[in-house]
Amino acid sequence: MNEEILFAREDETERPSSLDDGVDSQKYLIFMAAHLKLGVVAEDVVEILNNQVITYLPMVPDYIRGIINMRGQMIPILDICARMGMPSRERDSLVVVLNLGEVQLGILVDGVDQMLDIPKANIHPLPANSTQVLVSGMCSLPEGAGTMMVLDCEQLIPNE
Amino acid sequence: MGSGNDILDMYIYETNTLLEQLEGIVLEAEKESAFSQDSVNEIFRIMHTIKGSSAMMEFDTLATVAHRIEDLFFIIREKTMDVVSQGDRPALFDLLFKSIDYFRGEVEKVEASQPLDKDIDSFLSNINSLIAKIQGNPVQEEAPPPSKAPAADSAEAGPRHADPSGAFASDKNYPYELYLTFDEGCGMESLRAFMLVTAVRDFCAESEFTFQPADVETNPGTSEFIIENGFCMRFKSPEHREGAIGVAKSSGAIQSYQSHDYEPPAPVEEEHAPPAAAGVPAGGQAAGAGQPADASRHPGNQHAPKESLISVSLSKLDQLAAVVGEIVITESMVTASPDLKGLELENFTKSARELRKLTDELQDVSMTLRMVPVSNVFQKMTRIVRDMTKKLNRPAKLTLLGENTEVDKTIVDSIGDPIMHMIRNSMDHGIEESQEERIAAGKDPVGEIVLSARDTGSEVIIEIIDDGRGVNDDAVLAKAIRQGIASPDVEYSHREILNFLLAPGFSTNTEVTEFSGRGVGMDVVKRGVEELGGNVSLSSTLGKGMTTTIRIPLTMAIMDGMEVAVGDSIFTIPINNIQATMKVGPGEVIHDSTRGEIIKCQGNFYPIVRARDLYQLQSGVTEIEEGVLIWLEAGDHSYCLFVDELLGQQQVVVKQLPAYVNSFNVKNYGINGCTLRSDGSISIILDVASLYTAARGV
Repeated sequence: MNEEILFAREDETERPSSLDDGVDSQKYLIFMAAHLKLGVVAEDVVEILNNQVITYLPMVPDYIRGIINMRGQMIPILDICARMGMPSRERDSLVVVLNLGEVQLGILVDGVDQMLDIPKANIHPLPANSTQVLVSGMCSLPEGAGTMMVLDCEQLIPNE
Repeated sequence: MGSGNDILDMYIYETNTLLEQLEGIVLEAEKESAFSQDSVNEIFRIMHTIKGSSAMMEFDTLATVAHRIEDLFFIIREKTMDVVSQGDRPALFDLLFKSIDYFRGEVEKVEASQPLDKDIDSFLSNINSLIAKIQGNPVQEEAPPPSKAPAADSAEAGPRHADPSGAFASDKNYPYELYLTFDEGCGMESLRAFMLVTAVRDFCAESEFTFQPADVETNPGTSEFIIENGFCMRFKSPEHREGAIGVAKSSGAIQSYQSHDYEPPAPVEEEHAPPAAAGVPAGGQAAGAGQPADASRHPGNQHAPKESLISVSLSKLDQLAAVVGEIVITESMVTASPDLKGLELENFTKSARELRKLTDELQDVSMTLRMVPVSNVFQKMTRIVRDMTKKLNRPAKLTLLGENTEVDKTIVDSIGDPIMHMIRNSMDHGIEESQEERIAAGKDPVGEIVLSARDTGSEVIIEIIDDGRGVNDDAVLAKAIRQGIASPDVEYSHREILNFLLAPGFSTNTEVTEFSGRGVGMDVVKRGVEELGGNVSLSSTLGKGMTTTIRIPLTMAIMDGMEVAVGDSIFTIPINNIQATMKVGPGEVIHDSTRGEIIKCQGNFYPIVRARDLYQLQSGVTEIEEGVLIWLEAGDHSYCLFVDELLGQQQVVVKQLPAYVNSFNVKNYGINGCTLRSDGSISIILDVASLYTAARGV
């Protein structure tokens, strides 16, 4: 169901975009977290949910808000703002459920911006002395829509 | 399972099942020091099947060994158990146990795709020498019963074609009969017979002949019948029979053939006619066969009754259980939907009640599918006790109780090792070293270990009771202090001392023995059982023996829980751990020097753990009189948990927490899993033992 929505969006966004066709590119889902635009590879996105009741889980780091029940599956929810060291929002926001290899993870975001095809060449590394965590690259969005930071999903999963 | 090869999996499964069956028979027979004719037939059949399937899988060494054992039992079957003199019997039993181990070992290698042991010569010569011994013995058999097959048959051990006309009903429409027997052990007799039939069809119309058993093409089980009784073809004309004889001569593995003409009421003597005994129904041999030959003797009822069992892969059952769990939850989500509040829905309520009944039933059924009796595991222990009795030269017997208790398959699979450790431990450390010692203590010189299982509805209790020396508290304590597990300054209770036995790296036996290992045993037992969600407790009386009690929840997928609220959070506590709940006033709480709270109930003092403080929850009751104390017990821990209120008892489907969450070691804080509540929200399942450990550590 969600995939259909995603593809529909892609059709809308692909044509007006000024990016060259036929270049080695990847689709990104861009969402808002605090003042940042963050992007994740669209393939990793399972579903976007809202109005979820999150069950609080004790004894875990603060950035884990708890777990939700998605059709019988327990999905841990990360407050991405808190995880990246920004002040976390209290208000209910959207959950983007990601499938990262074996792990399914939901991240709390403020809103979904757009879906965009971005050539790999357009993604630049962070400045060498940047202290930014969880980001693997940056990319200027077309039509002056700002800058997207590519979320490094691998880093979300704690390595044993 | 891992091999991904269905036929191979089937072979492994089948062979292991047969070996288990065989071991049971042999253990049983060893007690009486004789095989009953039934068991001999059964062993013969098992070996035959193993031989056949191993040959099919091209495990030639296995097939050869099975073949020799089959030969051995052929002789015993023919000449009854008396052929084996009393002196040779222990050798026979040992040989069988050795071969069971050999087969097990080889099957394990097959499973692990390792090369098989090629060197079976010494093993074969063992069997051969036993066979030679048996055959060398004068047969102490009485005269064969008159109804038995003609003398020609029993004279030599090799051929075993039964009295031909006894097993087959004659048919006057097809008067020209032909009886065939195949070479002993050629395998796939049904297929060979069918090939013959096909060859005969080339020159003879279908309507011109019949054959028996008629279902050789489709039923491989007819092989047994053919081995027993041979294969019979009947023709309308003698010419066709001659043709068939030609075919039989040219095809391999035909041991003998015999023509016979249907005898009309006035008997006509033919030169190849069987002896006069022909008309007598086959007695001893056919009736004694493992397969119910009676059934196959009646045309139209050719299929031997089969057990109506199928094997299903466990993963499918897991899937089923998961889906059923979902259905149960969804059902209550639908019927208890907040949208229905305040509506008068008479028909809906009625149907909903019906639905609930059915889903409950479905849940019960899907649970029982995974249940298997513990008897297989228990049987293995008999073998261990037997072997250890011989090796340690300490006579002991194992008494099994409640072997038919059924538990979840995953539990049966993992419970074997803990039980085995405990049995070995009892044999090694429990039962006295010498019979004199036992007699001096006023005990039966033969030690006894009782292994029992019983089902209390929510958990299965397995007890291993030995009547040995019991635990010497002082020795254990001294040892624990030496090992650095116990502190010399503290006074320990009997129970605490016993618990040292379960501590890692503890072993009271100064020597490491072949059986009890390096003092890791008890530790492994404890861990193994805890992984299953159960617990181990020990009790012992010096000089009287020791009892190990293993309690394991019947199934891990569903449990009875008490839902409790703490602030905004909801937790589920396993009912099994709850001893009592109570409301207390502030005056009843005793404070210790570190501001810890203690409560006295039923004459004992228990620490209070406040769930809100432990989990640093934002909301929740702080005044002791406003909340509820739940007295919990798990393993050696007993304490009271303070919560806001009890929400009610609920049967819940246990779900694992996501691996991501578990990676933060929440399990160490008693957060063990979660479950969906009827409104779709999530309740966290608490593990009573680790919760206390966490609370004490805070």
